Amino acid sequence: MKKLLEISLGVVTSVGGFLEVGSVATAAQAGAAFRFQLIWAVVLGTFCIIFLVEMAGRFAAVSHHTIADGIRERFGFNAFLWPLLATLLVNFLVMAAEIGGVAIALELATGIGFQWWALPVAFLAWLFLWKGTFGFIEKGVAILGLVTLCFVVGAVMLKPDWEQVAAGAVPTLPDHDAANYWFMAVSILGASISPYLFMFYSSGAIEDEWDKSYLGANRAIAGLGMSFGGTIAIGVLIVAALVLAAHGIEQVDDYHQLPLMLIPIFGFWGFVLFVASLGIACFGAALEIGLQQAYLVAQGFGWTWGENLKPRDDPGFSTVYTILLVLAAIPIALGLDPLKLTIFSMALTAASLPLTVVPFLFLLNDERYVGEHRNGMIANAAVIFIIALGFVLAIVTIPLQIFGGT
Amino acid sequence: MKLLRDILDKQVVDREQVKIGKVDGLVAELRPGEPPKIVAVELGSITLGRRLGERPGRWMARVAARLGGKRHAEPHRIAWNKVRDIGVDIEFDIDVRETAIFDWQDWLRDHVIGRIPGAG
Repeated sequence: MKKLLEISLGVVTSVGGFLEVGSVATAAQAGAAFRFQLIWAVVLGTFCIIFLVEMAGRFAAVSHHTIADGIRERFGFNAFLWPLLATLLVNFLVMAAEIGGVAIALELATGIGFQWWALPVAFLAWLFLWKGTFGFIEKGVAILGLVTLCFVVGAVMLKPDWEQVAAGAVPTLPDHDAANYWFMAVSILGASISPYLFMFYSSGAIEDEWDKSYLGANRAIAGLGMSFGGTIAIGVLIVAALVLAAHGIEQVDDYHQLPLMLIPIFGFWGFVLFVASLGIACFGAALEIGLQQAYLVAQGFGWTWGENLKPRDDPGFSTVYTILLVLAAIPIALGLDPLKLTIFSMALTAASLPLTVVPFLFLLNDERYVGEHRNGMIANAAVIFIIALGFVLAIVTIPLQIFGGT
Repeated sequence: MKLLRDILDKQVVDREQVKIGKVDGLVAELRPGEPPKIVAVELGSITLGRRLGERPGRWMARVAARLGGKRHAEPHRIAWNKVRDIGVDIEFDIDVRETAIFDWQDWLRDHVIGRIPGAG
């Protein structure tokens, strides 16, 4: 019973991690421009992240190392520096995008320009990290994040042609705007397969003191939680395809177009639901990225870390998230377009994948860490596939950014 | 035991289980006709700088000496005979408070973090 409770909590928490500004924005853009045609990218991304999250949790539960600890110990400091620097940069950009997402939600709610909200949002996020415990943040993000289910409800209420939806799960070539199509596919994959997600998950497993008895729960949480998140992203995509495209919006290039999505379904409450979903999902993600950045640096250099400690007791750790929040608020406060920043950082996330995923191939096959719980054939095939995908994404991202970016 | 593989880059804890850093470097004594003997582990930015190359090492040593004074001009060393246990972490029979390893974190606590309300 206790395990069941923990699994459900874990599932809901992973939804909080999965659904953030990137998945909402990319799914909405894809739906508006290509209707159901890019659903396959969400499905593919979800499958990939299920495998990586399961492995990150298994690695932590069996070896009592986080992924960051494992990379440093197994490959040495010099090799660790590359994924470290790449992830620090990606986390910074994604954090700025999440702050931007919350700021946009507040602008929609109040009419006051988003740039004025950047610093208050960053301050509020900092306050949560400063005073909160891991359980508080984990559960708070999880429960509030359930509001995003309104996209799934909305998608069902619109009565889409489910045959067409299913057809979208199979990759097909676009009949217009090919560069834009592929750029969106890359951004969706980047939004789904976020390094911060699986690295955060392995730190959470250590914070929650997982051991081998959690392997089953880990599998359930990874599979169900990420599928749940993917389902919501598909919900966003379906709603965007049916509502935005019907209103003649094929190019989402402004956040102000997005609240329209839920209004034909829920009326005024659709507006409220959209604003709440965007604000909460992005705020939750901002907290998790702030923690993840601090975990990564503290684990990489061996400092004391833990969200349950008082800031006095892990000054290095709390300094990292404080600095990150201040820096990440600056671009938004200066008025940088949050939507452009989001799409850009999702593509860059995809490009950084090889650096963080290649280590999985070694760590999850090393008996000294995972003993008999090594990767099987399927898991290894999945990692190799994700690495190959990551390399392709890394190579195509920049040209697509130039020719297909919005 | 393969030292480079099994010891280098491991998490170091003191006798109170406080995480104090990683094994950033190893100090070995070369003995003619015998395998080298490990005498100490090194921690800190200077050692990390040296692993990246001679120039980053020198640069890091200069920065550390300027910021931390003479006490920080050399890497932190813990004698190998203080090892207590090697498991997930490597435990040394020392108290981090009696070393200079956490000076920068202490400074941060006393001058920055501790002054912000609610630091606990």
